[in-house]
Amino acid sequence: MNRTPTPEAFGQDPWKARIDRVFARALVLPLLLALGLLALLLGDTLYRSVSVQVVRADMGPGHTYPFGLSAETILRQELLAQGYTEEEAAFMLQDPKERNALFLQNRVELMWNTHEGPFRYVVTNVYDERVADFSLAEGLRRWNELKANLQEGERLVLNPWLDQTFLTRPPSRSPLTAGIGVAIWGTVWVLSLALFFAIPVGIGTAILLEEYLREGRLSRILEVNLRNLAGVPSIVYGLLGLALFVRGMGLGPSVLAAALTLGLLGIPVIVVTAREALRAVPDSLRLAAFALGATQRQVVFRVVVPAALPGMVTGVILSAARLIGEAAPLLLVGAAAYVPFAPTGPLSQYTVIPVQIYLWISQNQPEFARVAAAGILVMLLLLSALYLMALYLRNRFRREW
Amino acid sequence: MVSLEQLKEHQTVRTDPVPESQALVDVRQLSLWYGTKQALYDISVRFPKNQVTAIIGPSGCGKSTLLRSLNRMNDLVPGVRVKGEVLYEGVNIYDPRVDPVAVRRHIGMVFQKPNPFPKTIFENVAFGLRLMGVKGSELEDRVVEALKRAALWEEVKDRFKKESGLRLSGGQQQRLCIARAIAVEPPLLLMDEPTSALDPIATQAIEDLILELKERYTVVIVTHNMQQAARVSDRTLFMHLGVLVEEGPTEVIFTKPKHPYTEAYITGRFG
Repeated sequence: MNRTPTPEAFGQDPWKARIDRVFARALVLPLLLALGLLALLLGDTLYRSVSVQVVRADMGPGHTYPFGLSAETILRQELLAQGYTEEEAAFMLQDPKERNALFLQNRVELMWNTHEGPFRYVVTNVYDERVADFSLAEGLRRWNELKANLQEGERLVLNPWLDQTFLTRPPSRSPLTAGIGVAIWGTVWVLSLALFFAIPVGIGTAILLEEYLREGRLSRILEVNLRNLAGVPSIVYGLLGLALFVRGMGLGPSVLAAALTLGLLGIPVIVVTAREALRAVPDSLRLAAFALGATQRQVVFRVVVPAALPGMVTGVILSAARLIGEAAPLLLVGAAAYVPFAPTGPLSQYTVIPVQIYLWISQNQPEFARVAAAGILVMLLLLSALYLMALYLRNRFRREW
Repeated sequence: MVSLEQLKEHQTVRTDPVPESQALVDVRQLSLWYGTKQALYDISVRFPKNQVTAIIGPSGCGKSTLLRSLNRMNDLVPGVRVKGEVLYEGVNIYDPRVDPVAVRRHIGMVFQKPNPFPKTIFENVAFGLRLMGVKGSELEDRVVEALKRAALWEEVKDRFKKESGLRLSGGQQQRLCIARAIAVEPPLLLMDEPTSALDPIATQAIEDLILELKERYTVVIVTHNMQQAARVSDRTLFMHLGVLVEEGPTEVIFTKPKHPYTEAYITGRFG
């Protein structure tokens, strides 16, 4: 029998192919859902970090100032408008103490829109009174009506809560002048000290486990313990830190106690990622180095660690990103207090960004929700920067063995 | 097929044995176990100076194990146990007073797959020299010298300080590994199937190189490729199931093998 070959002769099954396609698409759905939720979260936070406000200036007329002037010029003009003479204003701005107090009480902010036009500076005073605070949509809809009803000394502004002064200012009882500066410095201090403790211990442990104790019993015991430690809720580390560092070692609610606690929290993550990086280094490189007459130590430090370094650095950055977001253990070891100044040393008081956000959210003035949204944005930016750095390093040093 | 019991009782067939005075390495009654599994049975053989000795045999016959026991690389395998002696220039390298790390500094080794370090070409070749404390202009001279001897210099001379060893082609990588191994001037060079991962042209280049290298170095090469053994080696060892079946000058092994297993393997009846 002579059969002509047809495509069907290969045994096509259109239904199987169709089911495969549907299945592949269905698997993408959770990813899309996750991305959508993330976008929603980010959008909502952005939306909440902007509001339309009517503010009554406590002193003076409540002017707005044109774009392009320096903060000092604006403050001088504001002082003159409040009734000080030229000499008094010059004196206040010259004396460092007075100047400092002035800048703590008044905040020169760039507003996106005011009743006097777009992009103008406003001097916000601690004692200013909030008359009304509207969401972006409502505020823009009623803009003209609000503008028409402004009283003497009142101003209408479209306020982006996240601006450059927000990043540098200390916290305040007034949402108008509250800033995240002290918390950023606290985070920098606590995180760098924590990594200072966690990196040597974590990477050392990883090297010990991967290069020296490969198949041993000790290695298995340590491995199980590390996995358990990585799964322990962070608040438990907070309790440990409270007992061990704050009380036991008498460090009190200091940067050092927080850094040690976060360091402990970071070690398991660093160990796990560093081990993966070490394991990715092929054995052929170790053999090559041994064959050239290298000792175990030389093999590890001249060949294996340099080859694994990009992976290790990525791991450290990812664990840093995790530590930045930790609020729970730090609430236990003493970050909760109101801290007006950035830390000056390892024994200073401190607060960190997530704790600061938590405190703002738990305030009952509704405007603090705006401040918190701005704080969350700062933290998201910081985290994105870290993740991008990790991504960059991973791609930059990717190797084909 | 041959049973292990038959082979264990077997005495190695030797043609023109190497006299002790010409031997660089003298293996005496070497047996080796991985845990409880014996991999080498009572092997005695001499490797002559400035000659190429090939080790052939079917997979799992212990060729590589024998090669690795010449520079104590087997020590890195957990649970390995060795009986017998390997005399290197008259000194037993398995003497407890001998440091295996020092042994490996005197013996170069090239592996099956090219394994350059993820460093520059210069740093790859300089690795062994740096371990020996060579520095400065001497280091540079000896790196260049090694690259020239490995027939790689012409191809990399304008980029060897910047380019990573991993950017080279497979054949170039293997010559880089040879340069790395001979940079410290080891009298003995061990090669474990150095061309099995390479294409025919790169293989040709390595084989030519081996023939040049034997003027300065003693070479022991394990190979799967019988033509290669016939082309490059002066003497050939045939192993089977961990036993050294026959050894002798290469032309004898390939044209007039004395042992029936050798003949069967050479003619392609097993392996």
